[in-house]
Amino acid sequence: MTRLAEKYLRPSQIPTKACHGCGIGMIENWILQAIDELAIDKQDIVFGTGIGCVGRQTFATWGGDNFGGTHGRALAIATGLKLAQPDKKYIVVVGDGDAASIGTSHLIHAARRNLGVTVVCEDNMVYGSTGGQFSPTTPSNSITNSSPYGMTEPNFDPCDIVKAAGATFVAETSVVQWHQTIKVLKLALQNDGFSFVHVRFPCNENFGSYALGSRDTKKSLEWIWENTKGQKANGEPSGHKWETGIKHDASNSRPEFSKLMRGLAERVGKETRQRELAV
Amino acid sequence: MNETLAASHRLVAPWVDWAARIKQGKWLLETGTYALTEGAIAAGCRFFGGYPITPATEIAENISKRLPMVGGYYVQAEDELAGMHMCAGASLGGLKAMTATSGPGFTLMHDAYGWAITNEIPMVVVDAMRVGPISGITGAPGQGEFYVARYCTHGGNFETIVLSPNSVQEIYWMAIDAFNLAERFRTVVTILTDQVVADMQEDLFLPDDPAALASVVVPRRNNLAMPFFPVGSSEIDVAPNIVGRGTGVCVSTYTHTPEGYDIEDMDAQWAQTERLINKIRHNKAELLRYEAIGLEDANVIAVAYGAPSRTVKTAVLEARRRGVRAGFLRLITLWPFPDQLFERDASYLVCELNYDGQLVREVMRAAPDKNKVHFMGKSAELHTVAEVCAGLEGIAQAGRMPPQPHIWTEVR
Amino acid sequence: MAATLFRDEKIQPAPGKAGKWAVLLDEDMCKACSFCLAICPVDVFAWRTSTNKIGWVPIRVAHEENCIGCMHCFQICPDFCIDVVPKAPRP
Repeated sequence: MTRLAEKYLRPSQIPTKACHGCGIGMIENWILQAIDELAIDKQDIVFGTGIGCVGRQTFATWGGDNFGGTHGRALAIATGLKLAQPDKKYIVVVGDGDAASIGTSHLIHAARRNLGVTVVCEDNMVYGSTGGQFSPTTPSNSITNSSPYGMTEPNFDPCDIVKAAGATFVAETSVVQWHQTIKVLKLALQNDGFSFVHVRFPCNENFGSYALGSRDTKKSLEWIWENTKGQKANGEPSGHKWETGIKHDASNSRPEFSKLMRGLAERVGKETRQRELAV
Repeated sequence: MNETLAASHRLVAPWVDWAARIKQGKWLLETGTYALTEGAIAAGCRFFGGYPITPATEIAENISKRLPMVGGYYVQAEDELAGMHMCAGASLGGLKAMTATSGPGFTLMHDAYGWAITNEIPMVVVDAMRVGPISGITGAPGQGEFYVARYCTHGGNFETIVLSPNSVQEIYWMAIDAFNLAERFRTVVTILTDQVVADMQEDLFLPDDPAALASVVVPRRNNLAMPFFPVGSSEIDVAPNIVGRGTGVCVSTYTHTPEGYDIEDMDAQWAQTERLINKIRHNKAELLRYEAIGLEDANVIAVAYGAPSRTVKTAVLEARRRGVRAGFLRLITLWPFPDQLFERDASYLVCELNYDGQLVREVMRAAPDKNKVHFMGKSAELHTVAEVCAGLEGIAQAGRMPPQPHIWTEVR
Repeated sequence: MAATLFRDEKIQPAPGKAGKWAVLLDEDMCKACSFCLAICPVDVFAWRTSTNKIGWVPIRVAHEENCIGCMHCFQICPDFCIDVVPKAPRP
């Protein structure tokens, strides 16, 4: 395995359970580079995840302390953990299902509270683990396992949600933008507040087979490439053009949640002690 | 109570000893919710994550004031699901944590219960029950979560600890006891109470000697080495795991190895289950808590827990005065169910605040003759002394209860 | 951005660029996604013919001497298989 994997990962869990061609491992490689370039110690990072491909394929790969929460609740767990262990960096890696569907409430409130975590929403635009049902981020009209006539529901971009809720750093990239992803991950990790990095990646096995008509790994990655650029290889516009880049950067401009809570505890604790002494 | 009866009165609980030893403190007239809050703080609780709901709201109100005073955190979660998950996270990070709710919120905690139980995370959950289903009559007591508290999460393969108080003083001590058991057994301890005990006002003795309290509180310790999960072992008093100290611990939803990562084989499933079930079953002696009067010679034993047990107890004493050889059995530990308390071949009259019959089914299972187990179900109002007395007399004299309005007797 | 992500036609490395890099590929971690082979602009990788320990027929390094150190393979590999490091300078 690579030098970075040896430095940060848990050897017994590598190779991961991810399918061949899955983008999850790529993003994990970039997360490790961001951590390494910022020289953050493994002991100072807590890695959290949820359910689904992004959850299962990353859980326990991290060599330090890590948790895999119930579906959608990784951020609720992280809220309690951050208050108990405020000086650690929290990287919460969750999929489109975990973050933008079942867990959206907690995503919104963690952003509202400006909880000091970096959420990496790895979005393959499908519920991969259960065989490829559509998700709230699936491109419109896509054929999937549970939208055999094409997806009728509208979709949304979780970046818009967290920005509206108060996130202090929001960025989006795709898996053909490794330098940009490492860069925004580093910025995200340096924000003492709620950071949201949305990375779109391919699911060749499930999304590919239903929506693209092929499980070929390269076809799925080329599809990501086209929609990141907005243009196919022949120059025609692609189906979508995802808006990538830093969408909102108010890093370190608002008090982080655990700091607010500690401030309260310190102030009230002091007042209480003074009152007790005065009696 | 006459002398003979008084001699047969038994209260088995650690706080009998605590109350005898701890004499320094003050007397207040306070509510169950107030007492619970103070007990939690005394036990070292430093995190509350929850959502307001009648009749548990006052716990949130009180603890939101008390926790910052002691350097702790009150987080008002977006819902009960988040609240209990936050408690799990906080406890995993080293803080003693608690949440409090009622039926509609308790229902949302299923997933979080599973996560905490499977990962052996200590915490306390308070369910102040009210009549149901769902909102029911908002201000009225119920006992509809007896089984839900035992089957607090999905998937089977676990045991759990559930306690129930019946007075303001008792809920204070029980809070400390619950936190202690949570630490010792590395699990969630549920305090199943009701709207009456939560809201009523009674004398409360509040210890204020820190040294005396320290002698009864089990402190939080941190496990810093493998095995993080001693699968296969039923040992208790194992220190809880902690995230954030660089131990490399893995905590998840899956069947796991001693290191905590997921594994899909039968040996691992067996070993994990052995731990989760046997750490409680093999240590039942540490968990037995109950109150009893007159069991030694009783022909008919009234069984109850929580608020109804107050009037049931009075009814038993009244029945004795009228010549009925009645006995009183108040369960304090509901789960693991104390089968050993039902060995006597007598009639049982189970009084509970539901019409579908929950506790009565366990008594039918545990007692020597299920045909001699009678059900007095009521909803939204406590059983009256007269009702229970009539029931006891009827069973003692004719083997059955007289019909009474709003009393459900059928168990199918 | 170029028109396509992958280059089926490999180019010759520019003079002076190649030959300075060690391409370390852990063949037993490879899941044969073929991204490295397809994204490499020059001709470094090829398919092995035998199965590896995890049941895939993996990629192997065929022409390390062509590597120009672009790092695309390192960045695109989803399975922590590839490290590209400067070769130790000759004494």
